Formats: sequence, C-alpha cells, structure tokens
Amino acid sequence: MGMGRQARVALGITIERLTVWDWIWESSISIVRHPGRSLVTALGTALGTAAFVATLGLGSTLGRQVSDSFDARRATEVVVRPDEPNLDTAWQGRKGLDRLRGLNGVTAAGRRVLLPEHGIARAVAAPAHRFRVIGADPGALAAMIPELVSGRRYDDFHERHAANVVLLPQPVAEASGINRTGVAVFIGDRPYTVAGIFRDVARRPEALLAVVMPATTAERLEDPALPAERDVIIATAPGAAPVIGGQAPLALWPEEPGALHSVAPADPRTMRREIEANVTRISLVLSLVALVMGAISIANAATASIVARIPEIGLRRAIGARPVHIFAQLVGETTALGALGGLAGVGVGVTVVSTASLANGWPPVLDLRIATLAVGASAAAGLLAGLWPAARATRIQPVAALQR
Amino acid sequence: MTAVLRLVAAARTYEDGSPVYALRATTLAIGQGEYLTITGPSGSGKSTLLNILGLLDVPDSGAYHVDGVEMTAQPEATRGAVRGQVFGFVFQAFHLLAGHTAAENVELGMLYGPWRRRDRQRLAAATLDRVGLAGRTLADPRTLSGGERQRVAIARAVAGGPRVLFCDEPTGNLDSENTSNVMSLLRDLHSGGLTVVVVTHDAAVAAEGERRLRVTDGIVTELEGDG
Repeated sequence: MGMGRQARVALGITIERLTVWDWIWESSISIVRHPGRSLVTALGTALGTAAFVATLGLGSTLGRQVSDSFDARRATEVVVRPDEPNLDTAWQGRKGLDRLRGLNGVTAAGRRVLLPEHGIARAVAAPAHRFRVIGADPGALAAMIPELVSGRRYDDFHERHAANVVLLPQPVAEASGINRTGVAVFIGDRPYTVAGIFRDVARRPEALLAVVMPATTAERLEDPALPAERDVIIATAPGAAPVIGGQAPLALWPEEPGALHSVAPADPRTMRREIEANVTRISLVLSLVALVMGAISIANAATASIVARIPEIGLRRAIGARPVHIFAQLVGETTALGALGGLAGVGVGVTVVSTASLANGWPPVLDLRIATLAVGASAAAGLLAGLWPAARATRIQPVAALQR
Repeated sequence: MTAVLRLVAAARTYEDGSPVYALRATTLAIGQGEYLTITGPSGSGKSTLLNILGLLDVPDSGAYHVDGVEMTAQPEATRGAVRGQVFGFVFQAFHLLAGHTAAENVELGMLYGPWRRRDRQRLAAATLDRVGLAGRTLADPRTLSGGERQRVAIARAVAGGPRVLFCDEPTGNLDSENTSNVMSLLRDLHSGGLTVVVVTHDAAVAAEGERRLRVTDGIVTELEGDG
C-alpha cells in the first residue's frame, strides 16, 4: 500500500498495533467493570463445566467405591461345570482334583453333587420340611468355609466311607426343631447324624438353605433316572481367579478338553477399568453437550451485548480503532469469560463432588487434569463463540458513534 | 494561513427512494488554527459535512485533502489513523464508557495511537487537570454532572495533541452555565493553536466562531468574510 505509506509520512501519522498488554487490559477492564454482563455471558460455561466436573468426579468416586467394596472373597472363587449334564462323572475323580489342588494359586478345591429337594424330618414319621441336598467333599467345604456355631466339619474319613453325617445351616436346623449337634435327622427312612450347625458361608451361599453332606453320601441319594448336577468349586489366592479359571477345566479332565467350562469372577481391576471407561464415555458426551451449551450461551450473550455496545464500538472506531482491534478485543473478552466461567464451574463441580463424598464417607476421586481440561475447553468455547459476534461488530461504522 | 482541510466539489447523496442531496458539491478550505462554526436546521446536511470533514463518512464525488493529502481513496487504516492522531472528536451525548474512570476514558482517546501506556496516563492526568477535573480522575462518568462529562470528553479528544477538534453539538445536553464553561474551554484550546470545528444549533455558540458557515438543503454558505 505505497499510497497509504506516503500519505502517512506526509501527515506524520503511524498505524499502530495494539500491544498484547493493552489488549489484555482493555478486555479485562471491560469484563471487570461490567459484572452483570460478564456474569450472564459466563454463566453457560460455568454451569456446563460444573455439570461436567461433577459428573466425572462423582463417576470416578463411585467407580472407586464399587471396586473397593467389591467382595474380596467372591473375587477368589471359581466354579467348574460340564457343558453336557450327562458327562461321565469320572471328571470329578480324585486324580483330577489332586492335579487341580496342585495348581499354584488354588487354596482349596473340591467337588459337589447337587440334589433336588428332599424332606428333612426329626423322626421317620414326623412332618418333613423340604430342602435341597448338597453333597460337598471336605475340599469343597474348605472352599465354602462354613462358619460353625456348634459341632465340627466332617472329614476325609466320612467322605471315604460315605458316612451318614450332615451339616445344617441354622435356619434349616431351627425349621427341623434341632438346636444341638449329635442328634439324628431323617431323609426318607435314613438317619443322619448332625455333625455341625453353621450360620454363614464365605462362598456358595446356596448352602444356607440346604442340607450339606459328604459327596459320596449324597450320591447314595441320587435317583439314577434323574442325575444330579455336579460341579467343582475352587478357592483361589487373591487375583488368581481368572488364571485358575483358565487352567482348571484342563487340570480336572485332560481327556476331553472343552468338555468343562469355568465361571470365574471378573478381575476387580478389570471391573474398575470398565466402570471408569463407561464413566469416561458418558462424561465425554456430557462434556460435549456442556461445551456446545456454553458456546451457544456465550455467543448469544455476546451478540446481545454488541447491540448495547454499538455506541462504544462506534466511538472506538471514530477515535482510531481499526476493525481488527474491535475483533481482537471482543474475542479476547469472550475467551476470558469462557475460561473464567470454566474456573467457576470447576469450583462448583469440585464442591459438589467433595460434599457428596464427605456426606457418604467416600474418598473423593478427582483428576486435576480433568479440571485443567475443563477450563481449557471452556476458553476454547468462548473463543469459538466470540468469532461470529466479533466479526459482526467489525462492520459497525464509526459514524454510529455520532448517532444520538 | 495554509489550509489544513480542503474540500473540492465534494458531494454526498443518500438513496432513500428518491435521492437525498445531503451535501451538494462543496468547495471549502479550513486553515490551521481557525475557529469555525457550522449552523443549520435539522436535516440540512451539517452533520454530513462534519462526518465527511472528520473522515467518518466519504463523499460520493469530489475530493477531500488533509494537509494536502487526498483522503477519499486512502485505505481505512490510514483514515482511522488520521482520526486517532490528527483529529479529536466531541459528541453531544459525550460517549464516555461507563465503568471506566474519567482518566481511563481520557486514556482511551490515545489507545489506538503511538503513545505508550505510561505516556497515556501522564497525558490524561495533565489534560484532566487542564480542564479543571484534577480531583475527579477516578470518578465513574455516571457520577459526574453533564458539564463535567463534557469536559472529560473534551480532555479525551485533545489529550493526544490533535491539530483539529470536531465538536458535534457539544453543548446540546448542557445548561447555560456548563455551556459557557465548555465555550471558554474551547476558546482556550483554540488560542493554543488548535483548529476547532463546531456544529451547533445554539446561536450563542455559533457566534463564538471567527468564521461561520450555514448549511441549508445541502448547500454551504459563508455567513461572514473569511477569517
């Protein structure tokens, strides 16, 4: 623009760029001195960010809570069952079970024979209550860990001889009118000695509503026409369940790989990862919604405020501001307001998460990077939202300042 | 006396169904240090004349020279720089920014020019002192009287040391006492060498001019001999 430069030299004038400091100062002063306008503009991003941070914070706090309270015992339990109910019962054989118990990470393992309901009575002719019968060998008992209130568990001797002994859960004993061990109960016409009474189990809670006896004893009650369900239950060291779950079927029945399957609980760590991944996905959607909401609200407020600022903008143009100065100032303002709204929103979000956690006695989980990200995203929303109104404002002619 | 502003057959027409001749071909020279007043009925075209002289509007035909430089074809950046560094503006409605102190309003007049922040602050304080508002530098314009506001606006217009001051109805919103204060301030500035161009309805204000123009239906006439 040679002509422009010549003219400027002749007139002794210069074209000035606004310094960064002046730009920041003008934008800041405009924000600070018009708190009402600034509040309305920043409100959208503040609310959006608050929702985002609170959701993410509560989500990860809850996620941590779920996996922390995850039953440690349940996480160390594996059950092996045949795919076909008619599989040769030899898969529950002693050799296979010994191999299984030899695996690193197995703390206890044993076989079970699960019979349908049978009538349990105090005497042959007495009225009977019907309960399931669970045959569990001493290895299975060791995995279940019944919490005895009286008597003791049966052992390998009873298992080998298919002895007529039972363990009764407290509700079953009470229903049958039994309050001590050593007495007999009748299943059909056969008497069984009550060896122990338990009030809880660490694993396999179905035993709490059943009569528990040695597996070999239970097999004598089996109806040949109606084969019992059979499984093997395994207690593992913490964290070993997924691995044992993979190895157990082959250890038990190498003759027919694939005939057995195991049910192992999810690894708590995997579970936590999954929960957190879900939370993150939901939060990502929420944050996008919040971002768009914030941007729209800023754009709306900024567009509205520009109408009110026509005299100001006209004045600035009249006293020498170039369109780029107007553009830079307005975008600077919306960006700063976006960031400020984001900061306020993070404050609110953190307060919500902390309060909710405190009220429930949970340790709050909040990622500082999330807060930083939220403020950055809000600032970006402010910048984007400011572009359109700022571009419109540059079209305001300086003569507007003279209009009364 | 050399002409600082020179219109050569400049005309401005608005299209409003039929053409409105806001300013018919006008040739006019304004010398450095002149005190010029422009009067005329509403809609006569005196504001159009002021806007063209102040580079806030562009004539459709003719030429306009500032210090011998033709301005109508200059890029907006140059025209803006002339407005910011050679001209000063005073408006009837003051156009002070609420929420900014008196001093910040005066500094704003120099924001887009070559002044450093420190110089702007120094010049603003000195100019507020000169217009008799040394004690009100931190006041919000909303707390000032009309006369004080117009003195802040005049300080904003002259703090950077412009060569031409354009005033559009500077006393239109003021009572007689404040009008005479503003008049004496303008007289004072003019005696310091500033070229002053005032558009006014007020006969008393118009009489202050050493040269007086009247605009009627877009036609500019001299009311007395050249100053």
